[in-house]
Amino acid sequence: MPDPGERLVNLALFLAKTPRFVSAEELRGEGLGYPEDQDEAAFLRMFERDKDALRAAGIAVDVDEDGRYRVNRTRTFAGSLTLCAEETAAIRTAVAALAVDEAFPFAADLTIALAKLGQGAAPPVAVATALVDEDPRAQGASAALAAEAIAARKLLTFDYTNAKGEARLHEAAPYGIFFREGRWYLVGLDTSIGEIRVYALKRATHLTVNPVAPRTPDFERPEWFSVAEYSLLPFQYGPEPFDAVVRFSAEDAWRAPRLSGGNGVIEEQPDGGALWRVRAGDARALAAWCVEHGPGVTPLEPAAIVDAFRMGLQEVLARHDR
Amino acid sequence: MTAKQNTAMHARRMLALLPYLRQGETLELAELASAVGATTSQVAGDLTALSFCGVPPFTPDEMIDLAIDGDTVTVLSAPPALERPVRLAPREARALVAALEAAGHAADDPLVTKLLTIASAELDPAQLAATLRAGDASAPVVGIYAVLAEAIETGTKVRIGYFSAGSGTHSERVICPHALANDRGAWYVNAYCESACAMRTFRLDRIREAEATGERFQPSVSIDASVSMPAAGLPIAVLRLAPTAPHTEERDWPGATFSVKPNGAIFAEVPYSSATWVARRVAAGLGMIDAIEPAEVRAAVREVARGALAEL
Repeated sequence: MPDPGERLVNLALFLAKTPRFVSAEELRGEGLGYPEDQDEAAFLRMFERDKDALRAAGIAVDVDEDGRYRVNRTRTFAGSLTLCAEETAAIRTAVAALAVDEAFPFAADLTIALAKLGQGAAPPVAVATALVDEDPRAQGASAALAAEAIAARKLLTFDYTNAKGEARLHEAAPYGIFFREGRWYLVGLDTSIGEIRVYALKRATHLTVNPVAPRTPDFERPEWFSVAEYSLLPFQYGPEPFDAVVRFSAEDAWRAPRLSGGNGVIEEQPDGGALWRVRAGDARALAAWCVEHGPGVTPLEPAAIVDAFRMGLQEVLARHDR
Repeated sequence: MTAKQNTAMHARRMLALLPYLRQGETLELAELASAVGATTSQVAGDLTALSFCGVPPFTPDEMIDLAIDGDTVTVLSAPPALERPVRLAPREARALVAALEAAGHAADDPLVTKLLTIASAELDPAQLAATLRAGDASAPVVGIYAVLAEAIETGTKVRIGYFSAGSGTHSERVICPHALANDRGAWYVNAYCESACAMRTFRLDRIREAEATGERFQPSVSIDASVSMPAAGLPIAVLRLAPTAPHTEERDWPGATFSVKPNGAIFAEVPYSSATWVARRVAAGLGMIDAIEPAEVRAAVREVARGALAEL
């Protein structure tokens, strides 16, 4: 049997070179690599797979009203790309390093994307990424599978062990994935409780995409959904969210946008400091966060956080009095 | 990768290689392999398969004619079509946007917009942003990254303003940057610090500003892109953590060894290079983490706690 890659390249070249629409039957007879002893149904299945593969490779295949095919040249070829030195530096170093990071769920697609952009050469400087420190290959694979389920809007099932060590099978309508501090997370509607949940993918195993009717979506994602709203800082999780204000000293004001994670609003102050207005869910956790990122980071409002900060530190002093 | 995925990648690489095969050119296999993210033997296999490809009637002038000779391939006859780069498929565009996001670019960054406009027509950036967040693009380190990457390539010294989480202080330094590394989503630069007269690792989101000085240094190829801290020889702090304390995972204390007592208390032996770094994290436990020893760390805990209270 001919190499499937050869058949696909022959098909791509023929469709790209032929300006007119061509029927499947005609393509079959052109000696592109389809087995001669294949029955009609098997040929059509193979041809459908090949068309899908061409489209997945970025080749736009148009179909006319008679079911014949032609490459759409306008939609197939990329424009001319000119990058400045800074843009090239970003792509050829950071992005290229991710293409070989097994925790990056789109590494294979990224490799091909860089090749198409002519940016796939070895990085000119020493650069490496280790996005995930806990079972990076498994987390990368889980995130990749979840991303496919999100794109196809297919239900996901998986075994999940929560932080308390309780394990059970979950079924979720996957809405989004996000990465934070070395871990991939899935956000989805848990079908057993009808609520949106965030799952750490390091705790999920045996992820399975619903194999029934793969081209038919199982659910619609709500229009209002945005995965960024679930990618929260540790102190933002809590049953009763409230507004908080954190002050950055003048010397540390520049650190506010770096530490905010894009959450909340940062206001410059006349003295050069900054006020960070942010939603919080856990007063004690926010107080701890301020200590950890200090000096120059102090809670202002509400009083519950200031109290947690003060009393917590007094407790620390008492426990380390000598 | 499964066998099916390997076959699919083989076909995708073959298609991606087509624009590189210009008539009359002799190309290094290693360069082509690097360009498509494959091994040299994989790309040799791809090229061999391509040399059997063409269009009807498959006469020599309608075939891709390649001469593979050792480490090079000469293109005797270029592909009869698809000689220009093909647009990115939606999943490839998704991968590129995710990678740029992981590298610190926001979804609406001009570079992302430019790449998608030129290279991919079918990806809806807003839809992608709603479902995928591959990094914390809010941290404005992209410009700093670019300065450092270029400085490493050209061997140019860089002046940085830096906040040290270890000491809790701000400083100005001149560094000779050698390598970039991403660890758990945060970017670092390994550099020789002229102030410390030693190699140091700097976290990019703690660099306030970076500016090339124009002064050159001799780049070293022996410095790797890694942020692991050698624990050997460092002093050890012994900590007691309540089971419900924050930072009870091993990844929170690099190089630490943990033990759990029958009452549930967790003890950690943490190697440290800065007592203030350990002390700040102990203080952030707000009474749920105790520094048992040494006295140096306990004193640093008191100092951090008093300093934080004084800021209220």
